[in-house]
Amino acid sequence: MEYVSPEGLRLDGRRPMEMRQIRAEIGAVAKADGSAVFEMGNTKVIAAVYGPREVQNRSQQLSDQALVRCEYSMANFSTGDRMRRPKGDRRSTEISLVIRQTMEACILTHLMPRSQIDIFLQVLQADGGTRSACINAATLALADAGIPMRDLVTSCSAGYLNSTPLLDLNYVEDSAGGPDVTVGILPKLDKVTLLQMDAKLPMDIFENVMQLAMEGCKAVANYIREVLLENTKTLEYRRGV
Amino acid sequence: MGLPNASGDLSSEMEVDAFRRLFPLRFHERHLVESIRPDARPVGRARETTLALGAVASADGSALAKIGSTTMLAAIKMEVMTPSMESPDEGCIAIEFHMPPICSPIVRPGRPAEAAPVVSKQLSDTILSSGMINLKELSLVSGKVAWMAYLDIYCLDADGALFDAALLSAVAAFSHLKIPVVSLNDDGRVVVVSEEQEGGKLENEPVNKEKRKLTLSSIPFSLTCILHKNYILADPTAEEESIMETLVTVVLDSSGQLVSLYKPGGPVLAYSSAVQDCVALTRHRVKELQKILNEAMSDMEVD
Repeated sequence: MEYVSPEGLRLDGRRPMEMRQIRAEIGAVAKADGSAVFEMGNTKVIAAVYGPREVQNRSQQLSDQALVRCEYSMANFSTGDRMRRPKGDRRSTEISLVIRQTMEACILTHLMPRSQIDIFLQVLQADGGTRSACINAATLALADAGIPMRDLVTSCSAGYLNSTPLLDLNYVEDSAGGPDVTVGILPKLDKVTLLQMDAKLPMDIFENVMQLAMEGCKAVANYIREVLLENTKTLEYRRGV
Repeated sequence: MGLPNASGDLSSEMEVDAFRRLFPLRFHERHLVESIRPDARPVGRARETTLALGAVASADGSALAKIGSTTMLAAIKMEVMTPSMESPDEGCIAIEFHMPPICSPIVRPGRPAEAAPVVSKQLSDTILSSGMINLKELSLVSGKVAWMAYLDIYCLDADGALFDAALLSAVAAFSHLKIPVVSLNDDGRVVVVSEEQEGGKLENEPVNKEKRKLTLSSIPFSLTCILHKNYILADPTAEEESIMETLVTVVLDSSGQLVSLYKPGGPVLAYSSAVQDCVALTRHRVKELQKILNEAMSDMEVD
């Protein structure tokens, strides 16, 4: 099957180095301390952050830092066929662990000892790149909750099909069986916090694909900064500053 | 109440937010005496309600309903199945209500919220018994193939009146539902005819010609009220529900008939006059909701 046409267009009309359209909204869940909706093309994710609050399970309390918990679940209707087990299956548990460790690395947990920060992610529509959309949504939600972080964490995926590196794969391209590289970075510090890849890839091509994914992450970071700036201006305006 | 004098003295000096947290019942009663509530609503009015159809593009029918801050996302996915022996020309509906941890600080992952299975059962009973959907419309080939409609409702923000918002979103999703076109292929299995094939030649005759909608008769709408002393508060927020625990939910259909009445105990024992007042409030609310649903549907048709 041809994923990149001879003219250089992908299945959904994008160029190989073009990301899908991103859209973010802060404060979607009124009850949460911080929340955000993040869309990358047709993938739509809601993140809600509760915390810092009292640890619910006393035995897990850490005396010198905050406990970070993360749960990833997909809605039954998020994928093409209705899902039977939206959470608790292996994939959801793995993604929950990965996102928790990614966010934990950048939250300044030593400032909030004996407390708990909960990050909940709900996928409403899944069209490839759910892991990345979740990390981006979690960053926005943590910022909305006012939790101190070292830097934003942004994430994007890239692949290699028909001998072309492709940025931001959708579901069809992802299930093509080619390599799928997911990268998560701290943009200002320029450090990589998450790097996952499956399938085989020669080293030099891997460097290209990873570089492409990092460019994507930086583009997402610029967008997230704009959204946060808008949000702060609105808050200032409401306060009458 | 322990020391009325102490709280009386403190209340004149304390900040409003502190008083609200420390003496919630007195805070709300102070407002009720003036026939108003903390968010400036009159006692009998519901919060602002919005409805958006087609919120989930990948589902066959979907709707997003918001009552105040309470947000519900309902989506319907259709699958084919063999009908049961007792009712060979009827389809089936499965309704599930989920409260993921994002919706509220009291929901913990791993332990589902107490309210979730209760609302799920209530919804299921109300929708199936109201006769809104004729199951015979969900049949494809009598005795062999029928539709199974899976309705999943996700609470995205829980701020009181969960059942009302869930029922509204379920009803809206059903009115948005378009049944996909299918055809029987050579093995006798049902195959969904995708959009591309519709224009060109079809190898097999489609079983149903076009994407049709369900005909809904007698759509149910509901209103939850809280009884406290001799006040009746319509459409409570989560804060009000946690302090004043007596809830009454009345479900009426569009022709004004009573579909369901639910008062699960609670400290306040109501006279029948209080229940009748709730029914009157619900009647008024049904007109509002009907209008909102019709507007949402005509917006969809314009598109």
